[in-house]
Amino acid sequence: MNDYFETLMANVKAQNPSEPEFHQAVEEVLGSLSIVLERHPEYRSMKILERMVEPERVITFRVPWMDDQGEIHINRGFRIEMNSAIGPYKGGLRFHPSVTLGILKFLAFEQVFKNALTTLPMGGGKGGSDFDPKGKSDNEIMRFSQSFMTELFRHIGPNTDVPAGDIGVGAREIGFLYGQYKRLKNESTGVLTGKGINWGGSLIRPEATGFGVVYFTQEMLKTRDTDFEGKTVAVSGFGNVAWGAVQKVNELGGTVVTLSGPDGFVYDPDGVKDEKVDYLLKLRASNKDAVEDYSKEFKVEFFPGKRPWGVKVDVALPCATQNEIYENDAKELVKNKCYCVCEGANMPTTIEGYKVFTEAGILYAPGKASNAGGVATSGLEMSQNSMRLPWPREEVDNRLHEIMIRIHNTCLTTAEKFGTPGNYVNGANIAGFLKVADAMLDQGLV
Amino acid sequence: MRKSSTLDQIKHFSLENVFSSRIKKFQKLMRYKIREILLVSSIYDNYLFEEDGRLYELIREEYQNLNLSQAPEIIHVTTGMEALELLREKNEFDMIMITLHIEDMHPTVFARQVKEIDNSLPIMLLAYDNRERKELMLNYNTDVFSRIFIWGGDYHLLIGMVKCVEDRLNVETDTESIGVQVIILVEDNVRFYSSYLPIIYTEVFKQAQRLIREGVNTTHRYLRMRARPKILLCTNYEEAWECFEKYKEYVLGIIADNNFKKDGHRDPEAGLKLAAAVKAELKDIPILIQTSDQTIAEKAKEVDASFLLKNSPRLLHDLRKFMMDNFGFGDFILKSPDGKEVARASNLKDLAKELKNISDESLLYHAEGNHFSKWLKARTEFWLAHQLRPRKVSDFASTKELRKELISAINSYVSDRSRGVISDFDKDSFDIFNSFARIGGGSLGGKARGLGFIGSLIANYNINNLFEGVTISVPSAVVIGTEVFDSFISENNLEIFALNATDDLLITKRFIEAPYFPQSIIEKLTGFLDIVKVPLAVRSSSLLEDSQFQPFAGVYNTYMLPNSNEDKKVRLDELIKSIRCVFASTFHKKAKDYMKATSYRLEEEKMAVIVQRLVGNERSGKFYPNFSGVAKSYNFYPVPPQKSDDGIALVALGLGKTVVEGGNTVRFCPRFPKHLLQFFSTKETIKNAQQDFYALDLSGKPLHSGDDVSDSMVKKYDLGSAEKDGTLFQVGSTYSPENDAVYDGISREGMRVVTFAPILKHEVFPLAEILNLLLELGTWGMGSQVEIEFAVNLDVPKDNPKEFAMLQMRPLVISGEIEELAVDDYKEEELICHSDKVLGNGATENIYDIVFVDIKKYDRGKSKEAAREINKLNSKLVEQKNPYILIGVGRWGSLDPWLGIPVTWDQISGAAAIVESGFADFNVTPSQGSHFFQNITSFKIGYFTVNSFIKVGFIDWDWLLKQNPVEELKFTKHIHFDKPLSIKINGHKNKGVITKPGN
Repeated sequence: MNDYFETLMANVKAQNPSEPEFHQAVEEVLGSLSIVLERHPEYRSMKILERMVEPERVITFRVPWMDDQGEIHINRGFRIEMNSAIGPYKGGLRFHPSVTLGILKFLAFEQVFKNALTTLPMGGGKGGSDFDPKGKSDNEIMRFSQSFMTELFRHIGPNTDVPAGDIGVGAREIGFLYGQYKRLKNESTGVLTGKGINWGGSLIRPEATGFGVVYFTQEMLKTRDTDFEGKTVAVSGFGNVAWGAVQKVNELGGTVVTLSGPDGFVYDPDGVKDEKVDYLLKLRASNKDAVEDYSKEFKVEFFPGKRPWGVKVDVALPCATQNEIYENDAKELVKNKCYCVCEGANMPTTIEGYKVFTEAGILYAPGKASNAGGVATSGLEMSQNSMRLPWPREEVDNRLHEIMIRIHNTCLTTAEKFGTPGNYVNGANIAGFLKVADAMLDQGLV
Repeated sequence: MRKSSTLDQIKHFSLENVFSSRIKKFQKLMRYKIREILLVSSIYDNYLFEEDGRLYELIREEYQNLNLSQAPEIIHVTTGMEALELLREKNEFDMIMITLHIEDMHPTVFARQVKEIDNSLPIMLLAYDNRERKELMLNYNTDVFSRIFIWGGDYHLLIGMVKCVEDRLNVETDTESIGVQVIILVEDNVRFYSSYLPIIYTEVFKQAQRLIREGVNTTHRYLRMRARPKILLCTNYEEAWECFEKYKEYVLGIIADNNFKKDGHRDPEAGLKLAAAVKAELKDIPILIQTSDQTIAEKAKEVDASFLLKNSPRLLHDLRKFMMDNFGFGDFILKSPDGKEVARASNLKDLAKELKNISDESLLYHAEGNHFSKWLKARTEFWLAHQLRPRKVSDFASTKELRKELISAINSYVSDRSRGVISDFDKDSFDIFNSFARIGGGSLGGKARGLGFIGSLIANYNINNLFEGVTISVPSAVVIGTEVFDSFISENNLEIFALNATDDLLITKRFIEAPYFPQSIIEKLTGFLDIVKVPLAVRSSSLLEDSQFQPFAGVYNTYMLPNSNEDKKVRLDELIKSIRCVFASTFHKKAKDYMKATSYRLEEEKMAVIVQRLVGNERSGKFYPNFSGVAKSYNFYPVPPQKSDDGIALVALGLGKTVVEGGNTVRFCPRFPKHLLQFFSTKETIKNAQQDFYALDLSGKPLHSGDDVSDSMVKKYDLGSAEKDGTLFQVGSTYSPENDAVYDGISREGMRVVTFAPILKHEVFPLAEILNLLLELGTWGMGSQVEIEFAVNLDVPKDNPKEFAMLQMRPLVISGEIEELAVDDYKEEELICHSDKVLGNGATENIYDIVFVDIKKYDRGKSKEAAREINKLNSKLVEQKNPYILIGVGRWGSLDPWLGIPVTWDQISGAAAIVESGFADFNVTPSQGSHFFQNITSFKIGYFTVNSFIKVGFIDWDWLLKQNPVEELKFTKHIHFDKPLSIKINGHKNKGVITKPGN
């Protein structure tokens, strides 16, 4: 098996020179799949892996535009359509001077599996340009976006490839891109997600990730025959994800007792409820990256410079940033009898922390699976666009709920099937892969 | 491409514009002055001259009394030979006076010889009595003398003689230049005109002096005196008529004898004939016939001339009355066409007022005649006289239009005139909108000087109304001169205490309780508060502040007062307390510490205080301008397409305290107002935007209790109250969390943030253009880079222009910024690093530590680990208080771990300079924008971008790797040196070096 992987990697490196990020991504994903390949020799003989590492299509194009001073600039545009086995390509556009083929390829590659995990019919792709939006005027951004879309429009479509936003592509840019697409194609469709609510966007997008995490956690708790009712929860962060999580935990009967920021954390034993939840919005919109004001406003204790994992809670939902649960924090949580950790952020737990959790045998879910709520909502936006019917909040919420349940169950059953019951990490990694691989098998040599 | 054509236009315009630089015009008047007189007379004659005292001193005193500049020097010799010798040696004389008795030669002989040396030198003959004179004239040719006078024992004659010559020499240029007026005096009786000339001159001087009053300081007074009416002495009809013909436009009036030569022989009706002839040409010219013959009176009336009896005991009185009535020296008498008086005006403001009310006929009568002009010229208001010169109603659409234009010309002139001039405070003439006046003597201090300078720039170059719908000005202020500070300190015996005390609160308390405050100042301030009833800012203006080399910004205190209490005594009390507090802040710790860093001594420091109208409006109990800001003409951290000398501006809603304290503001380059670095993503927008603002609480009470030295009346308010006040809509945007987007303006639902989008993107107000112009004007005017402070009030009554107020302008000099460091003179082996892409400026010495990423070991995939290591080392060095140089691979602070090392600001806060090096295989552009970058600019950290692999700059990796590290982690090393290394950055060229220790 090792030889097989080594040859595969060697080929990848040879075929994609100077793209170390892509090599690493491939290595990580495929490295976790040795057990899968053992059970599915057909993947090897049908060269599924070799096919997966080769994008279905890579489009690079010229994007010329004029700045406000009349100077002409030329940037390069990319769209990597990685894999459409289970649905139209789906992935964001990034406008950033660091954008290169290698970076986008690695992002597209990861996107394939992330999207597959959502159980929605979404393939994987990524795109962008080496354009730097920082310091540009609105008109320059508009001109660039229009030039970009003037090429891209012929390659995308609601049933083909549905880009979204990413670094450097926010609501403003999506607006300009969408406007140009409509003008060129003369159709009003869900060709981009992340649109404004007025013209095709979906509700609850900001909270979706947070809701998703809590729904996922609820399913995890069900495996131990319990739920959120009466549970204490530690949440880190105070942004969109945390806000969504807090709302949903409250709804399900739990109590969130911590919030944190780069400045420290606040401990509110009464729980972050009612007007305190609204206050979170204010805190979010303020320019201070700090939670201290919360403690002043509601007269609770503030712990400067510390993370919230030392507090005694039942459930921990890290929603702030990567690398926020170190080995010590993990040990503290375990010591305090926290028995469920579900990631809202991307990779908040360090490797050492992860080891502590696994050794203690507590419930642990990786962000890859549990924070798919955000991506799922993109899919729901596409659904609403196809139906031409915007759903009310409750409907979106319900659908999201269903999706999270499906993701959870998929992860769990897959983990069981492959000999590591309860290991959501393995379950997530493998489940996404299997879905795509099986679809590719079914669809012939394409 | 630089668009400085507006500035060029302004400069061009003003130099061409005859009336804009008015004082310059006055300076050009009276080019020919009698500075040195050669007096040739016998010793006895001299004795006679000096009967009343030393001639020269008498004359000088008289000059001072009459507000005339520089009295002439008198060199006295007793013989013609001596005189001629002096002349031959060095002819510096402007005039020669000679008496009939000189030792060695006859005056005519002398005079002829003088003419051979210098033909243009005027020679005046002084005789003692008529008989002598007549004899002389009969027997000799006296043409060689310019004039003959009879010495009556009055030294004033000499002054008259000097002025007479000067007037003759200057009349042509001065009339042409600004229209100085001319009085023609026709008199051939030598004795009479010898005694009369000085009288009439004195009268003219006195009147002129009296009228040059309003809003003018001492310097200007002297200059304006040069524009007083000139007197041309004529002795016969032809001469008089010639003068009249030549200076017709400018003739103020004619004072004539009746009996003088016409056509070569005496004509007893010459005066009347002259009067008739003049009246035939210009019927409005006042003529005074002086004669000893009473019977002429009737005839004089017939030709519409006034009449004066020469030997009347009330000669002077009648002359004065004539001049007052006819030469415009008195009140302006508004008449109906039949001659009846309908109103009077004694100054410009009154005149404007009366013009509103008089009948159309009266208006036309005065407008079509020369009446306004004359009256105005008597007051040396030539520019306005030109505006109001004789006009026909046919020039206008209607009499109503004419009236409107006249009134508005006067009113705008009155307000214009006071701008740009720092006059002594006078309650009656102070314009509460924009006057600048002083109270008390001494210096005005740096800040006030800056303000005065701005005012004069604006006035002289007509910047005020350059932008339609906007007025640019300096808000009115009075400056309390440093002498008041001096006397306050000395009378209260505070000097020793203040210099030595270290407790700021105690100092303030003592200053507030000090018993003595100069009474005269209190009176003036009372007068000020009588007319100014709006909120005030009381600001320091120290002697050393804003001097060319020390910025002193924010070292002394500013206080703001609502100035709204009904009880005037309370308002006065608050104001004086604030002034005392500003005095006290001269000696506060902050100031003392600051002073230690300069080469000045605290004893040298003196404090003037500016009491200035606060710019803004009252809105629900608080007072604030729509927005305030600071703009610098030079930017050390330019982001393309900006260049360094495009400058940078910071603006905030409300009072400028937000900007000064380094709070969240909108940062933009006035040349590229639509390129806003801070707002490129919604997250950054929210992080960087202003969330609250400062305003003056009008209901609050100023504490001054000594509990707090800072200003307690200025409070923070949130954006909600700005939205209620209606001030948010010009500067606000809306963040929609649902859409995760920021929309310009506040018409949509969502959280409000301040981005200034309506102004910068949608041009609701020409802020960027105004700043561009003022920064250019400032750098040109001050000859250096400048920083300006300003406030803007957009909520003005309908049809009024919006107000852009300049609050300060100072040269942009912070130690290190002015020097251009020589960074090219180093050899590569002396350096650790050099680059041509460096941001920042200045030199930093005394760095002993370097933290760097080992380029050989570094793996792009392990950037997060590297970040953790850096964090560790940073914490260590911060605790040790050792600043260090941080050298790394890829982009610092990158969000993307593949591109660089994803540290956050606090993880590298101890770095004094940051070096960003490229990868071998990957070109990284410098990370600008975002909070990370903003911190770099705020903390003035040098930022080097190097990619030695593609030959952009240089890092001596080999040398670094050879050093023995103090601490070595997986990817990073910390090295420490015993000798310091230094960082030198030349911000003008964006070049920098880091030298090895010991270099």
